[in-house]
Amino acid sequence: MNSKMIKYLYITLTLLSLGLLCACSPNGEGGLSGQMLFQDQPLASAQVEIYLKADKDRSVQPFAVVVTDVAGRYQVSLPQGSYFVIGKKRETTDDGRTRMLMAESPANPHQVAKGVSSIPSFNLHEMGREGLPMADAATGLSGQITYQGEPVSRAFVYIYTETDSGLVGPSYGEAVQSDKSGYFSIDLPAGRYSLVARKRVDGSRSGALSPGDLNAPYSGNPVKVRRGERLSLAEFSLAGVDAEIYAQRQADGVFAKTDTRLFGLVLDAEDQPVSDVYVFAYLDSRMVGKPVHMSVPTGEDGKFALYLSDGGTYYIGARSAFGGPLEPGEWVGTFDDQPDHRVAVTRGTETDLGSIIVKEFW
Amino acid sequence: MRRCLFILLLLFGVQPASALVVDQDTLWTGERFFTEDVRVLSEVTLTVAPGSVIHFSGSRLEVSGRLLARDVEFSGENWGGLLLKGNDATTLLSDCVINGASTGLLVQGGAPRLERLTFSGNKVGLELRGKAAGKVSNCRFIDNSKVGLFLKDDSTTSVVGCWFENNHRYGAYLYHAQPKEFYDNVFVKNATGLIIAYHGTDPVVSNNRFEANEIAIQVDRAARPVIRDNLLRGNQTGLYVYRRSDPLVTGNRIEENRVGLLVAYSSYPQIEGNDFLANELALKLEFQSSLWETERGAEARIGETSARSAFAGQGMRSVTEDDRRAKGMAGAVKVVGNWWGDVGTAELVKIGPTGNPSFIHDGKDQATFVDVGETFPLDKVIFAPWSESAVTEVKP
Repeated sequence: MNSKMIKYLYITLTLLSLGLLCACSPNGEGGLSGQMLFQDQPLASAQVEIYLKADKDRSVQPFAVVVTDVAGRYQVSLPQGSYFVIGKKRETTDDGRTRMLMAESPANPHQVAKGVSSIPSFNLHEMGREGLPMADAATGLSGQITYQGEPVSRAFVYIYTETDSGLVGPSYGEAVQSDKSGYFSIDLPAGRYSLVARKRVDGSRSGALSPGDLNAPYSGNPVKVRRGERLSLAEFSLAGVDAEIYAQRQADGVFAKTDTRLFGLVLDAEDQPVSDVYVFAYLDSRMVGKPVHMSVPTGEDGKFALYLSDGGTYYIGARSAFGGPLEPGEWVGTFDDQPDHRVAVTRGTETDLGSIIVKEFW
Repeated sequence: MRRCLFILLLLFGVQPASALVVDQDTLWTGERFFTEDVRVLSEVTLTVAPGSVIHFSGSRLEVSGRLLARDVEFSGENWGGLLLKGNDATTLLSDCVINGASTGLLVQGGAPRLERLTFSGNKVGLELRGKAAGKVSNCRFIDNSKVGLFLKDDSTTSVVGCWFENNHRYGAYLYHAQPKEFYDNVFVKNATGLIIAYHGTDPVVSNNRFEANEIAIQVDRAARPVIRDNLLRGNQTGLYVYRRSDPLVTGNRIEENRVGLLVAYSSYPQIEGNDFLANELALKLEFQSSLWETERGAEARIGETSARSAFAGQGMRSVTEDDRRAKGMAGAVKVVGNWWGDVGTAELVKIGPTGNPSFIHDGKDQATFVDVGETFPLDKVIFAPWSESAVTEVKP
């Protein structure tokens, strides 16, 4: 290693250390704190990774990383926003075996506002070779999925080890699909589990449910699987997603109308309206991660309306897609009245942002 | 317009359909008009009979099960196109026309068979993503306003025997995709025939024909494909190697272009065993300097990313400077073992390996260029040894 490399290494380590110190500062404006466990015991030296997105196959580096102390505790300062927390630890067991412990916070995502929010402690699990909990071939459960008395094929059964998530979202430990006769079977380590089954009309494994999809938690939740036991469940019946409830939830969601509104036009560089572009509002000036509000896509006239839940300072951007990295062919732009794309909004008012100019990115 | 179309269809006895979920095997025949989305559920087969004409107005067809369509026209106004979600090879579209959509056909995963289709007048003709596989063969991509064929997101779909003509921006765009095969395709009169862009996009592109495009092939943003045994003829620019891209270019016939090969912004391709014939200028270096790359390259890319990326620096999939780093930069671009035609070779014999060929524009013709007030030396081309005879075969 030459002197130049040593210098770079020194600088890098120094910056990393400063970053970690900053991230761990108890004086931060907002943040998260909690405790990692393994088999219900505090887990020291575990890595706590903070992400801005929920995808299982994250293609980006964590937003922040901290390490648990001897009591398994951690604290990280974060700007306001929504975060996904994952715990990891690679360690060598007494018999010389290397194992990976890992789990997502069952309550993901976590909102950070002012002050430090406490995350319920959760257990990390040993991961198998395929990234799944280590299963015991002699232990597990099986059952049949039905709807209105008929077997449901290709439904997904999700096995949750924690219930804080409300049995939704990606924090399940395992998933298995029913066969043509609606039957499913899965090997699991001994433990307590909560099950939910869903069948989406498009056949997908994940995503928001829509009218026509089937969904239900297992009526016998939680189930306890003992070592060496193949537990046979009672009938696992699904129910259809109600269209009216779905519509109401949509109305209550990110598109819900309020009395605080930003509006304007999305235009290209030639002042022509651009359709199919979403306008986003962020609370964080970096404008990364999940926005707090978004508009429906612009129509042919390029008009947008962005409803906000409250007054305050928002940072405004526009994109023809949401989530994931920018891809060629996308329209992208920002509200540029202020260099940092900021707009101050008073609750109960309507504010004309004029035009947001977007460019096609190739 | 929409109202007129509706009335016309009624006059001709066509019944408009409303929102539709296809939950059992279904056959469509004749002319159909849909104003709302149609969803074909998983394990369900939608068959569209030959000769059918399917219109969509402000809607789209989404297939999670299986679609069988031969000799069908899919069209509409302000419509979203066809979406195949995870369809396997039992989905077959052949001899169909898909036109006028925002994305004519979007393949989200799976491996459907797509044969002899025509995509015309769409914004994007065909987009394959989500690790799509399978094969696109003998399709035509004509007059699409953005991209004829967009292959992205780790898809490996083979592209064979397709025709790309007059697509306004790109005939085909390979972005983070590795088509298993990419050959026997023809690119004619496109703004850019084929673009291969971004680090990690390293396909083998062989035995294709590119004629009368503004740019035949553009390799951009640290892509490193293999460009082999292609014919690039009569284009404004044959091959444009841009922004730290290092393709392997071999066995190609590059002829009668205004500029055969344009190398720009810190690109160091391997150019070996090609024929450069009757180009106005065979090879040109532009803003190409190993010194600029050393002093300004990384900084310029940071600036570009933060200026052009979504909102505030969260840009395209990350590429480290280490990923981009050229294996060797010594102020020279090596272009050896190539055939420069009878006239060109005679000139090389006359001037020798250190001379300044008239058909190459490099640091011997233009010593420096200016970037933000500072002067940088333009790289030079090493062209010796050269081939004494043609290395490619003349193809029809």
